[in-house]
Amino acid sequence: MSDIAAQFKLVKGSIYSHCFNQDRSLLAITYDTDCYVYKVSAAKQPQLVAVLPDHDKTVTAVDISVHGRIVTCSQDRNAIVWEPLSNGTYKPTLVLLRINRAATCVSWASSGYKFAVGSSARIIAVCYYEQENDWWVSKHIKKPIKSTINALSWHSNCVLLACGGTDGYARVFSGFIKGLDTKEQVAGSPWGEKFPFGSLVREWYQGAWIHDIKWRSSIDKVAFVTHDGSLNITDYTDDIKSVDNPEGLPFITLCWINDHEILAAGFSNHPVLYSEGSRGWEVSKILDSPVKSAGKLVASTGDDEEEGAFGMSALRKFKELDLKGKVSQQEEKSTHVNSITELAAYKESNNNVTQVSSVGLDGKLVIYKL
Amino acid sequence: MEDWRRIDIDAYDPESGRLTADDLKPPYSHTVSLQELQPTIQQLRSYTSSGDFAAAVELFTTDPPYNADEQAKSQYFSGILEVLTQVRQVDIANIVKRLDRKQQDALIKYLYKGMSIPEGQKHGGILLAWFEKLTQVAGVNPIVHYLSDRRTV
Repeated sequence: MSDIAAQFKLVKGSIYSHCFNQDRSLLAITYDTDCYVYKVSAAKQPQLVAVLPDHDKTVTAVDISVHGRIVTCSQDRNAIVWEPLSNGTYKPTLVLLRINRAATCVSWASSGYKFAVGSSARIIAVCYYEQENDWWVSKHIKKPIKSTINALSWHSNCVLLACGGTDGYARVFSGFIKGLDTKEQVAGSPWGEKFPFGSLVREWYQGAWIHDIKWRSSIDKVAFVTHDGSLNITDYTDDIKSVDNPEGLPFITLCWINDHEILAAGFSNHPVLYSEGSRGWEVSKILDSPVKSAGKLVASTGDDEEEGAFGMSALRKFKELDLKGKVSQQEEKSTHVNSITELAAYKESNNNVTQVSSVGLDGKLVIYKL
Repeated sequence: MEDWRRIDIDAYDPESGRLTADDLKPPYSHTVSLQELQPTIQQLRSYTSSGDFAAAVELFTTDPPYNADEQAKSQYFSGILEVLTQVRQVDIANIVKRLDRKQQDALIKYLYKGMSIPEGQKHGGILLAWFEKLTQVAGVNPIVHYLSDRRTV
């Protein structure tokens, strides 16, 4: 289909998260209790180059910093930073998050010197490297989080941290680390004057679970998708714009395309493009939508004319039982055959994303053209 | 299921503060009492008696009292049920078409509430007619909103 630039079946299980490195030559995905690293070249099937095995429970998220460091977090309550070595292997460093429940999401700040981990322990751990101790330190943001954090996003100023979770709040915190960040980074920010670590900058109550939240730093806007099937866009004026999924199903992930366009995807297996026009945000295109053909069932039921006889209806009943579970080819499938779990910008030119990568529960990596 | 998933980890951490149902209540600055709702209920009655159902529906779907207590909510709802059941079937579609996204969400919450209590179930047929017309206009979106929203009527 024309919306698809490439698609690869990578693993047999679900992929919860993926990340490309800066020059798009490496791809990291989560798979079961491991993180797989692939070498990617043009349209060829990605080549598995490393398996990062140290977690002993499901790995929930992965991210790669500007310097090529990979961070993974897992349900075993730990995060691991993987430092690439010259021989192509990775040196793991355990980061003690000091949480008592699973880590759910992880995100590097764009500087690459700190990252944030969200967890079901109602804590966000902001972690940074301390030179003198040769150790990753984690600082907690606790209040007023009431439930699991599902998604995190750093503003490009590396201070503002947006998060969303199952308590129905989208929040913006300050992740300011003394000694690492400077006041110049947030000078003139429309979000406030002072940003001490852990302070709550803004919160918006949405009612439903928040699955994903992303900054558009250049225009200081935040977009988040919720379990009620809507995409919401807001900024420091607290004016929330909401728009629904035409299919009703919730979105799990979103990706800003440019200042006025957002791609969102989730349980309906294919992405939906939204754009902001004079009438506000609305659906502009449904990508890779399954084509409904006036379908025939695969197996014909043969002599199924109404006979009226009692015996025939029993026969038909058994025939129908026999057909149970067979696929009727009434619909062509979309490229992803299960929920999409994460979208990420793949190719970008002039602040406009032209290709988006996605992974899903079907173990596939798909690259969409816009 | 493995055993470690069943461990009560909060028991090991006195500071953890268990999650309670109250923690997940939406943040309301105050609770609306029945007295504060009385004028709206009166207004609904007068619209109903003058036959201006469109205005009545418009009124109760705008800013529903999510922050009222259960008793006030049920009193308020009986006023709404009166409106819903007195509208003629043929007019429902036209009234529903005029509602915006938020109002549709509020309306479906009241429909579900009606179906969940005995007084409403007596008028099940008419509630279903409202439901049908609403989903024809708005699709399944209000239903999905209703399922996941903690703001109840």
